[in-house]
Amino acid sequence: MARFIIRSLVSTVITLFIVSIALFLLLEAGSGDITVKILGVFSTPEQRASYRNQLGLDDPVYLRYIDWLIGNEWRAERQVGLDLVTVEDPVTGEDTWWADVDGHLVRWSLEDGELMQMARQEDGSTVASPADVVWAVDENGQESFWGVDDKNNAVKWVRGEGAEVWVLTKAGMRKEGDGPQDYIPLRKGLLRGDAGKSLQYGRPVSLTLWPRVRNTLILAGVAFLVVMPLALVFGIIAGINEGRPIDRFISVTSLGATATPEFVTGIFLIMIFGIWLQWLPAVAIFTSPDAILENPLLLALPVMTLTAVELGYVIRMTRASMVEVMGSPYIRTAILKGMPYWRVVIRHAVRNALMAPITIIMLHVNWLIGGVVVVEAIFGYPGLGKYIYDAAIFGDVNAVEAAAMVTVIIAVMTRIIGDLAYTFLNPRIRYA
Amino acid sequence: MAVAQPTAGAVPSQGPSRWAKMWKSISIVFESRIATVGMVLVLFWVIIGLISLVWTPYPPNAPEFQQNLPPNTTNWLGTDHLGRDLLSRLMVGTQVILLKTRLPWAGLVFPIGVAIWGVIGSVLVGAFLGLNAGYRGGWWDQVTMQFLDALIAFPVIVLYLVVIAALGQGDLVVILAITVTGAPGVARLVRSLALDIKTRDYIRAAETRGESPWYIMFVEILPNARGPLLVDSMLRVGYAIFAIGTLGFLGIGLPPPDPDWGTMVNEARKNIFTNQWAVIWPSLAIASLVIGLNLFADGLREELTRYQK
Amino acid sequence: MTRTNGKVPGGPVLSVEDLAVAYKIRGGEIEAVQDVTFDIQRGEAHGIVGESGCGKSTVTWAILNFLGANGYVKRGSIKFLGQELVGRSGEELRRLRGDQIAMVYQDPMQALNPSMRLGDQMKEVLTVHRGLSDKEAEKRCISMLERVYMPDAANVMHRFPHQISGGQQQRVVIAMALLNNPALLIMDEPTTALDVTVEAAVLDLIAELRRDFDTGILFISHNLGVVARVCNKVGVMYAGEMVEVALTEDIYKDPQHPYTQGLIRCVPKLGSDKASSTLYPIRGRVPPPNNRPPGCVYGPRCDYVRDHCREVRPELRTLPNSVQVRCHYAEEIDPSQWQPSEDILPPKIRQNGDQEEYIIQVKDLKKYYEVQGSSLKDVIGMGEPRYVKAVENASFNVPKGKTLGIVGESGCGKSTLIKTIIGLEDSTSGEAQFLGLDITGDLTTRTEQLIQELQMVFQNPDSTMNPSYTVGQQIARPMLRFGTVPKNQVREEVVKLLNLMRLGANYFDRLPRQLSGGEKQRVGIARALASRPDLVLCDEPVSALDVSVQAAVLNLLLEVQAEYGTTMIFIAHDLSVVRFFSDYVAVMYLGQIMEIGPADAIYALPYHPYTEALLSAVPIPDPSAKQKRIRLEGSVPSAISPPSGCRFNTRCPRRHLLPDGGKICETETPPWQEDERGHRIFCHIPRETLLTFEPVIQTKERAV
Repeated sequence: MARFIIRSLVSTVITLFIVSIALFLLLEAGSGDITVKILGVFSTPEQRASYRNQLGLDDPVYLRYIDWLIGNEWRAERQVGLDLVTVEDPVTGEDTWWADVDGHLVRWSLEDGELMQMARQEDGSTVASPADVVWAVDENGQESFWGVDDKNNAVKWVRGEGAEVWVLTKAGMRKEGDGPQDYIPLRKGLLRGDAGKSLQYGRPVSLTLWPRVRNTLILAGVAFLVVMPLALVFGIIAGINEGRPIDRFISVTSLGATATPEFVTGIFLIMIFGIWLQWLPAVAIFTSPDAILENPLLLALPVMTLTAVELGYVIRMTRASMVEVMGSPYIRTAILKGMPYWRVVIRHAVRNALMAPITIIMLHVNWLIGGVVVVEAIFGYPGLGKYIYDAAIFGDVNAVEAAAMVTVIIAVMTRIIGDLAYTFLNPRIRYA
Repeated sequence: MAVAQPTAGAVPSQGPSRWAKMWKSISIVFESRIATVGMVLVLFWVIIGLISLVWTPYPPNAPEFQQNLPPNTTNWLGTDHLGRDLLSRLMVGTQVILLKTRLPWAGLVFPIGVAIWGVIGSVLVGAFLGLNAGYRGGWWDQVTMQFLDALIAFPVIVLYLVVIAALGQGDLVVILAITVTGAPGVARLVRSLALDIKTRDYIRAAETRGESPWYIMFVEILPNARGPLLVDSMLRVGYAIFAIGTLGFLGIGLPPPDPDWGTMVNEARKNIFTNQWAVIWPSLAIASLVIGLNLFADGLREELTRYQK
Repeated sequence: MTRTNGKVPGGPVLSVEDLAVAYKIRGGEIEAVQDVTFDIQRGEAHGIVGESGCGKSTVTWAILNFLGANGYVKRGSIKFLGQELVGRSGEELRRLRGDQIAMVYQDPMQALNPSMRLGDQMKEVLTVHRGLSDKEAEKRCISMLERVYMPDAANVMHRFPHQISGGQQQRVVIAMALLNNPALLIMDEPTTALDVTVEAAVLDLIAELRRDFDTGILFISHNLGVVARVCNKVGVMYAGEMVEVALTEDIYKDPQHPYTQGLIRCVPKLGSDKASSTLYPIRGRVPPPNNRPPGCVYGPRCDYVRDHCREVRPELRTLPNSVQVRCHYAEEIDPSQWQPSEDILPPKIRQNGDQEEYIIQVKDLKKYYEVQGSSLKDVIGMGEPRYVKAVENASFNVPKGKTLGIVGESGCGKSTLIKTIIGLEDSTSGEAQFLGLDITGDLTTRTEQLIQELQMVFQNPDSTMNPSYTVGQQIARPMLRFGTVPKNQVREEVVKLLNLMRLGANYFDRLPRQLSGGEKQRVGIARALASRPDLVLCDEPVSALDVSVQAAVLNLLLEVQAEYGTTMIFIAHDLSVVRFFSDYVAVMYLGQIMEIGPADAIYALPYHPYTEALLSAVPIPDPSAKQKRIRLEGSVPSAISPPSGCRFNTRCPRRHLLPDGGKICETETPPWQEDERGHRIFCHIPRETLLTFEPVIQTKERAV
């Protein structure tokens, strides 16, 4: 059994690794010049080039992948020569980067050619003072200094050669002098929970993503809890009545339900319950990400839609497996041992019949997530699906990458759960 | 005699005529009521599509009527929010799915629809990968399956979103997306079939003749996988139509000007309180076509397995 | 044991009369079984033999009313202890099943629930039928397991089916069937899935239980030898009808029905060979149930058929010697006067003389497979590599035009050995030469010409042919591939081969699904011959066939050998078939050749102790034969870590003959003891001692 589980884990890690590379490269190749998206189509090439430099987009692709995956302060630290640490901003909740100089948290800025040092105080404010740093001299005789600026970048200033950079402010691009020559936009990387900044909102993706993930897990979880018992019961009933009218009825209905796209089901449910019967709100307005916690009725239609689609699938899987098991020689043995019919079904058949579908059902979770995207789009439900949809439409690369990775991780985790359940249910593996 | 054919093992057959054989294999469809119903549904839409190539009641994209009309004698199915005839749009909607593919160059059009090309693509890629993984095993299998596992780990819609976010809209992009999302499933199916078939003695016989792996995979194994593969492909066409509809509904489906059903639903749902017909018709169309394909495939599978017994 | 449920002590346990069972199919129904009549008395074992599709299993399902959704008892009655079973309610039948009527199945692995502990599966028979408490049931189960000689019975209760061996599984199924001391025990091919030595032990057990439990046994088998060992009465079924019912002694000694006579002529006697005896297949084939001939069902295949037989269906009637037979002319038929009809002439046997030219020479050939362990280290590839030692130091030579037979039980390495020779696997070490060319590598290392010279015939008729291509295409393929025949003559050549296979040109365009098992096997042989190989390896070519077909295929192979002078290596688990077919025989155990030599020398003294055990396990279709009873203890050890010294030492029943209880067998590899005829025995026990054993089997005609 250990072997089976370890294999499954190793394979999962490799899978995630491949997925992350594929995702990164695909979006890298496909999304074009994202500075156009951020700065707008009226930005000048000069502005874009400057901004590209600030985002670290001029680095080679492998370096940016590593930055994205595991962060880059380790390579910035080598340049700066100091430990770089993060502190949460008390106002925005975002992480800010500081250099650790003998226990004091410090940033720098270049003002009129003079390097200023800003030390962080206990209350979060900073105190500026002229920096007493030594400029390093390289072989060209250039004096340069690596430090941390106030925009969470590790940057390289060159003495007397403050570069002209375009800085994005709320009011638009502004040209500033005294800029650094080189940027490493500091980040912790996806593995440490930092997915970078949303290009759309300018805030860290991880801050906006988690409430969405929670909402989706609630939606999918409720749907799962509704679907599973119903599906297993109906699947087993259909399976033991193979070929009879009740089986035909369950099979054809569930086939119809799975084969109908979620958006069709959703729209019909809206029309039936929202417009004609007026039982439920036809258009739910989610005022805040926490709205569903305050008014669980908003969940009703989304859950019904997901249930309709998933129910059919799981019923069909369970039915097929049950039919196969009921025809197997060991069920024949049980019947010919004179066991009562329901004892045969419950003690002998069900466990064996659930073994096969459980892994398939768990594999199907990513199908469920696909359904979630559509359902959330129909109902305007503030979940992960809607998030990924909005981000994809906007071309918010960081957000798409992070959200897609989350969905993949969810899918992979459920697969592992499915594998574990299978090993647990199947004594041939458990006691191999 | 055409004994030179390197693939078929040669020697033409002189049994019953080709047509009789074909009829025999088609006739098993009618053995199953489910398959017959499914086939009727599918054929209905294929015929509608073929008719729409030469005739529609009104031009599908012309806003010639009053807006949001319910069904009436002029517009049998009503009109949409721009005053276009719903019946005409619905008929033309079959074309991009089943009958034609628009190429991005100079308005060129290629026969056979996006859904079907997508499935053909995934069957070709999937069968190739699955045969190699299943028959060769070992290293090939490990690498292929690991790769496919990674692809499968993507929720399908997310993969579509990512592909479309990266490559933009277009018929070819949708075909690519369907191929990429479908290939892993086909590969898994073909692999499991190949794993089963390769234990048969006739594969040993081919090996002891020193046949090349390619010959064994494509000539000895693949023909025996055609039944399940056919059923699976039919289901996949259903899923592809399903997916195209969904993408249309999400506003990132097949590009205009040709109407597609998902896009129609998406546009109409903004007016759902005033005009439900514009939502109902394309929804029914897409559901009936997908259900038809599913019924057809299901019935066929049942008959094929019974036939084998 | 006390009977708790016996009601009618005098009458038969089971009485079946004029039973007909029909299955509804699309557009009608077929009668799988017609007019079957027999009785089983208490303490009696009643066998039913017949070839596949004759309806013998259907009879058992009818008794238990387990005919599926589309089957039903159309006519007749089934009385159990005097009570009619036909038409009883499901609930009444359920109470009988598992309690008074119990059943044992063909494949124990399939018959046991894979996800339930064996103890739970057994206990519920007692708790449901008898209302016993769990504790009491457990006690009863353990004692029953001990009764069927299950080692470590209490522990087995907590195990799952996959954790015990096939023979042990069948013991569990038998114990489970006996828990409620049933009045009737139905056994459907209970030993068919087992190896011959395991089978022998299970058959011993059944015979013993029959004496002790006073149970009526209905024993279904296709194997005449197995039935002879267990049953006192035998019914022969053919095409859904019971054609003969007689006491076991009578049926083998003096068969009355022409079909029974034909069956007995089909089976090679243990010890007979192709030079001194002939197998006579029954011509034609069993008619399908929906197309049975009018009159006698056996008429079209019968050598004594007359017009009356074709018109009037014979009834099952009782002859003066109390044998029941379904034949109009049973009294007039004398099997000793039987002459084969001209269409089944015995094959010509080529006497090749003793050539010294060896076509294949193998020396110390080894084949190891690497296996992955299950520890953490192994998973990440750090563990010690471990090997399945599938073939160890195999050495043999086969002269041109001769046949080497290889026997052994499953897992003995015989299949691996020929896979290595033909090149499906490469060898780990050792030498192997075919006409002086090295064949130690796999197919990728061999030249086209070499590949063409070695071909193979496979075991399973259902998978030997590719279902997608016609017979002609499949036989033509090797000719085209190797270019042995000019392209424009391929069809002609294929037809020639088809004729040689007694199939005829009209088979050219048929698809495999239109052929019977025997026909598919013939096509398989034709395909192997199509490239005109010098060496054909036959992997159990007849073991999946019915006996009457088996004889025909064996004859065909003999004819091929006579026609082309082909050398053959022939694998089988059936010792009689190997003896009949081969010039030389090798006996393998756990990857090691234990004994090898001319066929007659293997089946006569001196034996290797393992050969002796094998021979004493073979079921012989002759109840009068005396067979020594040697049973092997334990099960075959793992090939990953085989026993040191002699691999057979853990189970050898003869090692006590050596000083110190055979200590040497554990420590030293045995020597090859060879005589002047090339008969070699791999054993520490001196040849002289081995010679003092008694022959295993003694019949009136011969001693083996």
